[in-house]
Amino acid sequence: MTRQDTILRVENITKSFNGNPILRGVDLTLRKGEIKILVGPSGGGKSTFLQCLNCLISPDSGQFWLEERPVDIFSKKELYRYRQQVGMIFQDFNLFDHLTAMDNVTLALRKVKKMDKKAALARAIVELSQVGLEDKTRLYPAELSGGQKQRVAIARALAMDPKVLLLDEPTSALDPDLTGEVIDVIRNLAKKGMTMVMATHQISLIRTLADEILFMEAGVVVEKGSPKTLLVPGTRSQGFCDKLNSLSGEGI
Amino acid sequence: MPEIIAIIKDALPYLLSGGLITAGIVTGAMALGLILGLSMAVGRVYGSTAVKRVIGIYVWFFQGVPILVLLFLFYFGVFNYMGLNLSAVSAVTVVLGMTTAAYQANIFRGAILSLPQGQFKAASTLGMSDIQTILAIILPQALRLSIPAWSNEFSIVLKDSALAFVLGAPEIMARAKFVASRTYQHLPIYIVAGLIYFILTWAGVRALARLEKTVRIPGYSNKGI
Amino acid sequence: MFKKNLIVWFGIMALLLTGGGQALAGKKIVNGIDANFPPFAFIDQKGTPSGFDVEAMNWIAKEMGYEVEHKAYDWDGIITSLLTKKIDMVASGMSITPDRLEKVAFTSPYWKIKQVMVIKKDSALTLDDLLKGNKTVGVQQGTSEAKWLKEAAEKNGWNLQLRYYDSSPLAVEDILNGRIAAAAMDDAPAKDASDKKDVKILGTFGMASEDFGYAVRKEDAQLLKDMNEGLKRLMASDYWKELVKKYDLK
Repeated sequence: MTRQDTILRVENITKSFNGNPILRGVDLTLRKGEIKILVGPSGGGKSTFLQCLNCLISPDSGQFWLEERPVDIFSKKELYRYRQQVGMIFQDFNLFDHLTAMDNVTLALRKVKKMDKKAALARAIVELSQVGLEDKTRLYPAELSGGQKQRVAIARALAMDPKVLLLDEPTSALDPDLTGEVIDVIRNLAKKGMTMVMATHQISLIRTLADEILFMEAGVVVEKGSPKTLLVPGTRSQGFCDKLNSLSGEGI
Repeated sequence: MPEIIAIIKDALPYLLSGGLITAGIVTGAMALGLILGLSMAVGRVYGSTAVKRVIGIYVWFFQGVPILVLLFLFYFGVFNYMGLNLSAVSAVTVVLGMTTAAYQANIFRGAILSLPQGQFKAASTLGMSDIQTILAIILPQALRLSIPAWSNEFSIVLKDSALAFVLGAPEIMARAKFVASRTYQHLPIYIVAGLIYFILTWAGVRALARLEKTVRIPGYSNKGI
Repeated sequence: MFKKNLIVWFGIMALLLTGGGQALAGKKIVNGIDANFPPFAFIDQKGTPSGFDVEAMNWIAKEMGYEVEHKAYDWDGIITSLLTKKIDMVASGMSITPDRLEKVAFTSPYWKIKQVMVIKKDSALTLDDLLKGNKTVGVQQGTSEAKWLKEAAEKNGWNLQLRYYDSSPLAVEDILNGRIAAAAMDDAPAKDASDKKDVKILGTFGMASEDFGYAVRKEDAQLLKDMNEGLKRLMASDYWKELVKKYDLK
């Protein structure tokens, strides 16, 4: 557990909206290849925390270290560079509706990484193939199914070679029959060693992928630990998962 | 009756070339309105409070004062004060342009706001700056959404251009009046003038509808606006 | 024979082209006109400004070494246009009045004008009817007769309604429409109207006759001098008689 392994570290993230405290001091340390999963009831602050991790939402307080170097999130330049290395997948996919799948992936490559058209195109094809969409590159988001849209979103994020991938309920907006294709892609990512922080209700992911589970409620991390230690009868996490089980019908 | 037809036939080229001037005024005004209106819309959605306030005042002013008043105010007042010696046609184009900019600002603002916020977030997470996002993601979609309302605004501006005659701009309305004063055939001449306006409006609206179809994104339905 | 004509033709062209060059060397001025005021100023069939005052100005400009451009303006704002330098002069049937003299300078008068009432051809109305019978009389906005009628009506306690129009021809239309009983205007446009439409001139209505003059800005002394000189020469020439005849002014 050498400190050189630490990819991302944040300390004491707080955030209030209109006087309502949503995050009341959350810390997180991520080492290379780790997968940490946030679980907990809605409104507990999971999504807000994820969006604070890449500063889509500016935290009221908190400190950031990327690969052990502090990041000044108030400097626009540093912020943009930081964001290139921390990718995000959204519950609602958030594809660029006016661009084809291909262009969705190449846009940031050309505008942010300043790649030329040909290189961007080649990279885009690689990423889209890896999520199984090599034959759908010319389609527009409106012509894709939910699962396909999320896979494009993943390809788009990965094309930027992020060091960390944040996933905010990646399968929650999908019909049950489409979640499988996205879960497969996520599993592949994990296998390849992608460092991830994910908020999800998907039991299978929680149990099989997590290196550490963080149970968040009312803006703080109430419990945390590996699945082995946390998913035993009596813990809040287990209680929560039981509830999810009964709702989804999946068995643990 | 045959004498009326002769008068109309005589006057037609004169009136039609007035149509060219009208077309010029409208094109200039809509272009100015587009550039100014789009900038103001972006400023109103993404700008600081101070920026929003200034733009708000501009929009409130130009929407609140009748165009006729604005024409006199600017042509005989403001422009002179500023030492600008604009011809009647230029003055009308500028004033109409500034007015339509106020309305267009609202059109574009509505279109921008109707877009799902998430796309902006996604662009940000990829490391794109706000300006890059606005230019590459927001505006291409907002502009497409705005075409119907913009077409509407175009037909309004075309009709408003008839007011140009009070400044002596030799467009359709002014010319119709000149012919009518000489021939005392007001009704037939004004009918012809009306027809010319109608044809110009119709042609413009059709062209914009064609544009909308051309830039339409497959499968993309009009959300909101 | 053919060659000779060709040479003549080339010669004329050469003259015209060089002659054109000379005219361009003159000073440029813009004459603001009310293009809805036949026969003094209007737009002809081809779309060019024409009329008694326009043609007179063209002659004077050439004579005095100026290049004149005629531009149509709303009569109501024409003095403002002159003062704000959008135009350099007004040669367009403008009456010399004390009011206007406060703002602009006029040349010596070049035409005397009477103000008359115009009514429907088959109307039996008398002047008394119009002034005291609670009728509506049309006038062009911004004219001296409009002002005179308003003030005289108040002073004498006349019972008439004034309706303002942007041009005399429009007022004539409304006479024919029956919206107004009569319209007050200068005698020359009145004659123009009665020639073309079913209206007739009733006669004067008590307003003193006025003189037309060209208006320039008070500070343009040289222009005023040149215009006065030009008018003097014009009125002494045959062309003046031609113009008067052409436009049927008497």
